[in-house]
Amino acid sequence: MATDDDFLSSPVPDPDAAATPSERARAKTFADLVDKTLAGRTPPAMSADDRALLEVATVIRAASGNAELAPGKQRSLVEDALRQAIGGPAASMPGVTPIERGRRRWLPWAIAGGTSVIAAAAVLLLWLRSAPHDATPQPDVARTPETWRSRPTDPLIGPIAREHAGDASSRIDYIFADRMDGYRDRRLTRGGKR
Amino acid sequence: MRSYVLAMVVAVVALGALATCNDSSSDRSVTRVAEPDDVIDQDLMVALAQAKNFHHKAKVYITDGNFTDAIAAVRQILSLRFPTGAPEAEDVRNDARALLAKLLVGQKELDEAMRTVDEGIAQSTRESFFVANLYTVQGEIYQARADKVEAEGQKPQAQELRRSAIGAYDKSIKINDTLQKKLMEER
Repeated sequence: MATDDDFLSSPVPDPDAAATPSERARAKTFADLVDKTLAGRTPPAMSADDRALLEVATVIRAASGNAELAPGKQRSLVEDALRQAIGGPAASMPGVTPIERGRRRWLPWAIAGGTSVIAAAAVLLLWLRSAPHDATPQPDVARTPETWRSRPTDPLIGPIAREHAGDASSRIDYIFADRMDGYRDRRLTRGGKR
Repeated sequence: MRSYVLAMVVAVVALGALATCNDSSSDRSVTRVAEPDDVIDQDLMVALAQAKNFHHKAKVYITDGNFTDAIAAVRQILSLRFPTGAPEAEDVRNDARALLAKLLVGQKELDEAMRTVDEGIAQSTRESFFVANLYTVQGEIYQARADKVEAEGQKPQAQELRRSAIGAYDKSIKINDTLQKKLMEER
């Protein structure tokens, strides 16, 4: 028959066999140990086998989702969170980060400020660079040849004698030919642009 | 949360300002040559070509003795659309008016001829050889009117019309002289 000290090393009893008095006593002792541990009153000393069994029991209980904080601790955490939410000082709860400290309020403002400074510098730089160009006249306009421009035809036609007052047909031919020269010249020079 | 939104708004506004500034600077290409608005363009050449064709058409009608269609062809020149502000437009129209008036005089439509010339003179924005030519034709119309009223026995009125003709010729001569001097100085 197995004793209390060697029940772990004794042969496995028949599953249908009734529990012996020593087994019942042993189970009750272990149940008390588990209850004490859950109540936060873990005995300072216990056998290595009991400690192993106790750890297994704790893990099984935590995995089943039945682990709960003590009512006092729950109340303390909730009150601390509410106090921080209304702007009060955080309680000295170890391991809990205050809400205010958790936020980095300066980060978006730093990004916005940096962006604004860069934009302002770019605007200033562009303004300083473009200012001298605006002050100078556009030389390309001034260089446009006279023959490319639409202009009065007086220099081309000259005074119209009375006997030629009705010779508009020959004059329009002359005007058209002259303007066509300028138009072609401009188009060929400028690579076909209108 | 509110501070995040405000910060984002500030950042977006700053970037928007930067983008706007950048866009305005990129509009000016360094390779693009600035071009005045008064260059000879395709629209002007098309209008001149049409005027030329109508003149040739009128010339054919005149050769055939069909003055009615010749007058109609010349009238079409007056309704051509030229580029806005093109000086050639005024010159071509005034020249067409001069021819039209002469054709109307040939058809004994002196009032219509005078109206055509007067409109051309009134609508001209500058003095030109074409305006001078209109005054020349105006003088011819006055002469034709004088001949007509003289034939009707109205000698004093005929003399007055001949004085008006001389006045129109004088205006034409004056404009021609002024313009010639101006052109000589520019050369």
